[in-house]
Amino acid sequence: MTGKLIRNDIKQNKLLSAMTIIFMAISSMLLVLTVLLFTNLLCSIDDLMATAKTPDFLQMHTGELDESQLHRFALAHSEVREWQICKYLNLENSSIYLGNYSLADSTQDNGLCVQGEKFDYLLSTENHVLNVSQGEVYVPVCYRTQYDLHLGDTMEIGSQKMHIAGFLRDSQMNSMMASSKRFLVNESDYQKLAESGEEEYLIEFLLKDGTDTGVFAADYAAEGLPANGPTITGPLIRMMNALSDGMMILVILLVSIVVLLISILCIRFILALRLERDKKEIGMLKALGIGKKEIRQLYFAKYILFSVCGAFIGLVLARTMQKPLLRQMQELYGASSAGWQSDIFSILAVLLTEGLILFSIRCGLKKTERYTVLEALFPKQTENKKNNHRQYLFIGFVVAACTFLMLVPQNLYSSLSSPKFVTYMGIGDGEIRIDIRQTEDIRTITERIDTELKNDSRVKKYTVLQTKSCPALSSDGNQINLTVEAGDHNAFPISYIEGKAPEGEKEIALSSLNAEELGLSVGSTLELLINDTQISYTICGIYSDITNGGKTAKVGISSPIKDDNIPAMWNIVYVSLEDSVSKEQWIEEYNQTGIKIVDIADYVKGTYGQTLQEIRLASKTATIIAAVIISLVVALFTRLIVEKNRYSISLQKALGFTSGSIKKSYMIKGLLPAIIGTVVGLITGNRIGEYLCGMILKSFGADRFHFVIDWNKTLFLIPIISLTTAGTAVWIGIMAIKKVKAFECCMGKE
Amino acid sequence: MKDLLKVENLCKNQILDHVSFTMDSGEMTAIMGPSGSGKSTLLYQISGMDQPSSGKVWLNGQEITGLSEDEKSNLRLHRMGFVFQQMNMMSNLNILDNILLPAIQANKGKKDNRKSKAELTENAKKLMQKLSISDLADRSITQASGGQLQRACICRSMINQPEILFADEPTGALNKSTAAEVMEEFVELNREGTTILMVTHDSKIASRCSRILYLLDGSIHGELILGKSDTITEKEREERVSQWLMEMGW
Repeated sequence: MTGKLIRNDIKQNKLLSAMTIIFMAISSMLLVLTVLLFTNLLCSIDDLMATAKTPDFLQMHTGELDESQLHRFALAHSEVREWQICKYLNLENSSIYLGNYSLADSTQDNGLCVQGEKFDYLLSTENHVLNVSQGEVYVPVCYRTQYDLHLGDTMEIGSQKMHIAGFLRDSQMNSMMASSKRFLVNESDYQKLAESGEEEYLIEFLLKDGTDTGVFAADYAAEGLPANGPTITGPLIRMMNALSDGMMILVILLVSIVVLLISILCIRFILALRLERDKKEIGMLKALGIGKKEIRQLYFAKYILFSVCGAFIGLVLARTMQKPLLRQMQELYGASSAGWQSDIFSILAVLLTEGLILFSIRCGLKKTERYTVLEALFPKQTENKKNNHRQYLFIGFVVAACTFLMLVPQNLYSSLSSPKFVTYMGIGDGEIRIDIRQTEDIRTITERIDTELKNDSRVKKYTVLQTKSCPALSSDGNQINLTVEAGDHNAFPISYIEGKAPEGEKEIALSSLNAEELGLSVGSTLELLINDTQISYTICGIYSDITNGGKTAKVGISSPIKDDNIPAMWNIVYVSLEDSVSKEQWIEEYNQTGIKIVDIADYVKGTYGQTLQEIRLASKTATIIAAVIISLVVALFTRLIVEKNRYSISLQKALGFTSGSIKKSYMIKGLLPAIIGTVVGLITGNRIGEYLCGMILKSFGADRFHFVIDWNKTLFLIPIISLTTAGTAVWIGIMAIKKVKAFECCMGKE
Repeated sequence: MKDLLKVENLCKNQILDHVSFTMDSGEMTAIMGPSGSGKSTLLYQISGMDQPSSGKVWLNGQEITGLSEDEKSNLRLHRMGFVFQQMNMMSNLNILDNILLPAIQANKGKKDNRKSKAELTENAKKLMQKLSISDLADRSITQASGGQLQRACICRSMINQPEILFADEPTGALNKSTAAEVMEEFVELNREGTTILMVTHDSKIASRCSRILYLLDGSIHGELILGKSDTITEKEREERVSQWLMEMGW
């Protein structure tokens, strides 16, 4: 009997049934897609890191190196499984050509290396350890599409030509967010080219499972081992790898949560309408003695069937949609081995989605229990009017939610693509950044640039920041090495999570990773060892940083660090130009001095380009999904309103109203909540959306995030999409008015 | 004879005021009265569809006013039958399935003597045949006339062989000739032993019952005993009812 009831009910309510299944399917699809992409990304990264044997602790170093000192350290530490020193030949970007493209404009540090001896292997696109022959080069896989490279193309370094034998995956520097890229060459080619660039060292340690890398890093620093460069740990490498694609997945997650919410509300609303329509039948069943549990079960059985269909369709769609979205990830990290894991997690995601929807339906069905037999059999007339208002309110809500859905990814995209965003990542709010590093005479070059900038009338403002390695004492008395940036941090400020930029002589700001690791907060003190003197510094601010392994500190211009005898590891100059000056021309002119100058906007594009591209794709997809939801839901509910008001429409026609005039009034009634919904969506999208994105970005290190709003899209494009879609949907919904005949009202209200 | 139904001091807000009466098994009683007198309200309190403010109702010796909602549902399913003025039926089931619905539900709850679907269908078809609607079995409810639907509703109310059948204006939505035909079915059921309590405002319909209770302002104002329909002619019964109703101020 239940089967027959369900079958006949679906036949009689094809549209509502289809809508319910569509909502269930879309919700499942999006959550499964999020889970599939997430498990695949994490498993791919894990597989890549396991095959490549990524180091757990990595110290970059420029300058002299005493290998025996490192050997003694490794022997003294039983937690060291393996260790090695890898050479990295940092090349001048302008001397590199990939195929027909010059890397002169590249914001990355590009260099050569040979295959790791014991670990940190560079892998082929099949994730095999690469062996390179003489005259061959393997190029980072992220450059394949960027520079349209093919096997057999030529790479030129100065006058030396090598042919591209393949593409490599680098478990450390795969992501565009990692600022360096390694090209793999044969040992003899490396030696031949050794004079073409500055040599750096990667001092790498593979540690035993369970080793605390923080403690190990502290030991390393305390020994006074080579540390002229950033320190990077395994978890940080994993985070950098996950960050670029993870952002897109988080956007999809946000979309799937909003869509799930819309779906639950739509299904609940459809259910409420059905229960309202079936009220008399429910009353009759109750009068016949059929218990509330059985009545609830009659309805619930149908929704379980819908849920199974929705889940199946959702799974199939998610599987289909994941292919193009995984392509980029697989290019970078390789195919994932997450076979059964992704299957299990997909099923769990489907069960969660459908479970939540069914739970909400079950709660909705409780309504059948609330009204008595008599209330159900003889409903009050006032309820109908109340429900009509609710229907219009619902249209407003759906338009608001969909506007929110379109706006948030769009705002996220415009914020991440804005130069302002770098201030959340520990990079100053300037137009141009000059990096002076990997050079023998950092001080002389910096002084020359300083003089040139001072005398350049085109420069509006500039500041020089010196980065030095400075020993410090942690709260437990251990010595650690801090990467400290000294200079005027108010000239091109970054965003602080807490507190402010250092100004006073003994003020220091810490990156959130350092503050967390050292257990310090604003107001606490930190002991620094400057020229063998212990000086107490007060923490004045904490900021997010993704540069240099995320573990940095900043001191003011008057700090004694600035003028000590320790040489700078590198210097950075932030510049902003007068409005009339051409940035490109200025950069080209200064580039000739042999230093690395980048336009911050290009730097953002270079670093987050891949992420931005994916967020843009996710944003476009969200807009399409939102527009589809608006058109489906608004058209359906307008149609339902017309059906519900069939009697009064018929009466109006009998009294002489034309279809056109009735349509006009329904159009206004439908558009009004859509307009209000759009406004509410825009406000909540900018406010709540900012808060939600802030929460997500906080987990990636960008704290106190604020949207950089693209007003053209916020005030024009998105409202136009929302309102035209809603308007068209209302128009489609009210077309049914034409079919209502004037005589229908004479045949009775039932 | 033991009372099948006993109503004692039944009150419902301002509508019913200490209503008391009893019904014997096999009786067919009509409740009459002007609009707003509380006829339907009385029926809903007795049948457990609504909770009275005070007073008690016994069905076959069992006090039912104190039962829980679920117990009352169970009681209605197994021991009571209902026919309403509006032919309320499930729109997505055909007529046979609508009739079968309470039977299947009642059968589900049984521990012993569970009947097969075929047996239940057979019973339903027999009832349909008895009420001359056997050719409507596969039809949708939209493909049947008001009289046919009311007959189907009677079949549905009888499918679980209830101890008592309640009918609320069962002919109210039918034309005169159809109403007479439907009433004939009630008389026939009563003749076969079904106890019926019916609310009506049609004196002709009421005259077919063995007893009439006149309700005014929520309390029983008068009672007319007519006896079984075969004792006096139909015309005499109608005249007696008309005269009695005039006395009651109808």
